[in-house]
Formats: sequence, C-alpha cells, structure tokens
Amino acid sequence: MLHFEFMQRAFWAGGLIALIAPILGVFLVLRRQSLMADTLSHVSMAGVALGSVLHMSPVLAGFLFAVIGGIAIEQLRRSYRAYSEVPVAIIMTSGLALAMVLMSMKSNLSKSFSSYLFGSIVAVNPLQLMIIAAVTAGGLIFFAVFRRHLYTLTFDEETAAVGGVQVKLLTFAFAVMSGLIVAAAMPIVGVLLVSALIVLPSAFALRFAGGFLQACILAVCAGLTGVFGGLTASYYTDTPPGGTIALTLLLILLAGIAVQKVGQRRRQRHLGEAVRAVPSASRQVMSTSYQEEETNVS
Amino acid sequence: MNIAAMNNVVYGYDGVPVIHNVSLRIESGEFIAVSGPNGAAKSTLLRLLLGLVKPWSGEVSYAPDFNRKAIGYLPQQAASFNSGFPSKVIELVRSGCYPKLGLFRRFGAEQHALVEWSLRRAGMWEYRSRKIGGLSGGQKQKACIARVMAQQPDLVVLDEPVTGMDAGSRLQFYQWMRDYVSADARRTVLMVTHGLDEARPYLDRVIRLEGKEEDCQCFTSNSCSAPFGQEVLLH
Repeated sequence: MLHFEFMQRAFWAGGLIALIAPILGVFLVLRRQSLMADTLSHVSMAGVALGSVLHMSPVLAGFLFAVIGGIAIEQLRRSYRAYSEVPVAIIMTSGLALAMVLMSMKSNLSKSFSSYLFGSIVAVNPLQLMIIAAVTAGGLIFFAVFRRHLYTLTFDEETAAVGGVQVKLLTFAFAVMSGLIVAAAMPIVGVLLVSALIVLPSAFALRFAGGFLQACILAVCAGLTGVFGGLTASYYTDTPPGGTIALTLLLILLAGIAVQKVGQRRRQRHLGEAVRAVPSASRQVMSTSYQEEETNVS
Repeated sequence: MNIAAMNNVVYGYDGVPVIHNVSLRIESGEFIAVSGPNGAAKSTLLRLLLGLVKPWSGEVSYAPDFNRKAIGYLPQQAASFNSGFPSKVIELVRSGCYPKLGLFRRFGAEQHALVEWSLRRAGMWEYRSRKIGGLSGGQKQKACIARVMAQQPDLVVLDEPVTGMDAGSRLQFYQWMRDYVSADARRTVLMVTHGLDEARPYLDRVIRLEGKEEDCQCFTSNSCSAPFGQEVLLH
C-alpha cells in the first residue's frame, strides 16, 4: 500500500496531525471545551466558502476564520463564565449558518464541499502537507515551551494569574493554536470528524494516565494508532478514510474502557477477600457515642 | 516592614458596594487572620489585594522592593477542582515551584527538597503518588496547601484553608504557618478563617470585617478607616 505516493502522503499527514491534535485535546477536554474542535472546523469551513466566493485562497481563509473563531470563543467565555459550553454553541451555529449562506452563493462549490465535510486525506497535496508539518512543529514547540504555564492555567486560572502567568495572553495564544490545528486537521478527517482526532484520544488517555505528561503521551499514542490503523483499514476495505479513522479511535476508546472495567472488578474482588481475611481487631472501627462531651470532661 | 497596603478601597458587585472605604496595611513577619460573617467580603478583600479584581476607587499598593512572584494564593474551595484532572499529588505540588522557575529554569535539587518538605509538613508525603482526583476533601485541601507552600512565598494568602480538615490537621497547619512566619522576618501569612477560636493562639493579628454597615463601629487600630474594616490587635 505504501508504494503509492498518495498513501505515503496520507500517512505523513495523518501521523503529523496525530502528534499534535491529541495534545490539544487533553487541554480542551480539561477546559470543558471538547466541542471547540467541532466548532472551529465549522467556522473554518465558512472561511473556506468565503475564500472561494471572494476568489481568495480558500486554505488561507479557512485558517484565518478558525483562528478568529478561537479568539471569539475565548472572548465570549469571559462573559459566560458559568456556562463554558454556551460560547461554543454560539460560534458553532454562527459558523455553520455562515457557511451555508456562502455556499449557496456559489452553486458549483457544493461538490468540493463534500470533500471538506468528510475529509480527503488520500488527496492531500504537497502544499497541504507542508502546512500540516509547519502547524505540528509550531504546536509542539508551543506546548513544550509553555508546558508549566499551561498546566497551571488548566488547573486554575486565578492561582495561575497570581503566580505570574499572563493569563489573557496565554489563553489568546492557546485559542490561536487551536484554530491552526483544527484548520490543518480539517482536510484529513473532514469538518464533521475533526473532534474524533482531537477528543477521542484524550478521552482514552485521561482514563488511564496517572500524571499530566503521561496523559499527553498516551493520547498521542492512541492518536497515532488510530490514524495508521484507520488508514490501513480504509485502504484494504475501500471505506472512507475519515470515518474509518474515527471508528478506529472509537474502538480504541471502547476497548480501553472495557479493559479498565474488567481490571477494576478483578482488583476489587481480590482486595475484598484480602480485607475479609484480616482478623477483625485490626479492621476499621465504627462507633457511635452520644456522650462524647461528658466523657471528655471527666 | 510594610509590604502591602490598601487605601480607601471601594468595591462591590452589580453596582452594590460590599467593601466600603477599607484601608489596611500588611506588615512582614505577621500571621494575620481575616474573619467576619458570611457575606462580609473577606474573599473579595483577598482578591483585591492580589490584584485579581480592580477596586472601584482607592488603591492597592505593594512595597517597591516586594517581589510579586513571591505571593502564594490558595483560593476558596481550592479542593473543588476538576477531579478528572490527570495529576499525581507530587506533580501538583511541584507546580507550586513554577512561578519562581519561570518557563525554562531547571527543576533542581533545591525544588525537589522544597516539594518533599512541603508534602511532609502537610502530612501528604505518603500520598504523593496518588491521583489528586481520588483524594478525600480534606486531603485535596492539604495537597493544595502543600502546592502553595512549595513556592516558598513571602506573602501567603489563604482563603479558608482548613475547610474539610480534621481537628488534628488544622492545629498542625496553624503551627506550620506560625513556624513559617517565625523562621524568616520577610514572610507573612494572611488567611481567611471562620475558626478564629482555635487559630487565635497562633496568630499575630486579626482583621475583622463586619457584614452590615450600620452596626459596624471602628474602634481600634492605626490602619483602620470607618465604617468597614476594623482591626483588632492581639498581641
């Protein structure tokens, strides 16, 4: 399969995105913004539509819109502090509505749009590959350089601010980064399944990881497995690559949950027996006293 | 030595002031408690001091030689963080060292020692490899306190730090703060508390905020200005 140049490019593009998207996903999930990726991809599609209506580069316009969408969500998040999913919903609807209206302006667009909706990883061209490589490199550098600040920020924004983190600037940079990664991932799995690459691996990793770094590494491993497995499967079974990748990631997640459940049950049974085997004197003591006050005084 | 001061600060929510013209000074080398009934704006006072909110009028100032990165802050209900946050206790406490390290400075032997000291004093050393989400409420609180203390702040600002902690742990905690302040004259601990009675033996000063304006009289202290922030000196 790898002797086809288009498959090589697909593997490269998928692999690069699978390096960065799951890390972004860990942060998005922890910030309760797991639908952010979906939203930005819709907004990005509106950008692509606008780009072609205005005879600009659709790719560039897509990137621009995704970044602006990310910043807009961040701004709205400040006014809807108690409902962090509301800004996401607002921007998602706006993006989709705008994309629909713009698409109707150019009737010959709708065909190429299906490739945006469902992705066309096997049709990745060298320019797109370069863009993906640049975004991935930039993203990895961003997350590596700001790892301490991002950890602190994700844990609690106020203590981060007191600790000298430029909260506004960093969340702004994070929003821009989200936009770039989503816009780069869009051609691979498509608008509708961008979340699969960003959220599913981190959903898997967060169940298992003991620590923060471990969560990021596990998420990337799950992402890479899902992308390469999904691509291979889609090549041999002739199924759409975007959907197959998403399903593979889902399978990984479900398998993970199942393994964890079984392991937990076995451990509990084991520990339960161990506790019962201990002589009763050393077990936890429960007592009820109605006369604690008096006892203490005397 | 004076490290921070608030002058005639007014602040409130939804157009209603809750802090009326408060003035106070924070000296180094003090263990101070802020107390008062619910709604007396104790937490707001801390947030104003930390610069998390800007006063409507008046000003909050720090001594020119005071390092703003040497403030450690424990918010109210610190233990109510997202319990799915993938972090070991020790990883969380290590993050307390980040403000002083910045982005790139190496996490060295000094930091490792501080983290261990902090975890041991908080009584959480045995739990260092546990995930923070699986701790009990009181343990979460202790882990968050250990994180603040690993920073070795010159000004420790704690909002109801003993929430959920048992009696023994509370007294150990007060003793820790007392020792911490006494060990270095540059250090100050400021904490909001409802357990004034049990904390009193360890404290240097109590700042009392009264909830209602009309029954508040200001009858003590150099740094108090009516009608809100009265201070009681306890020496």
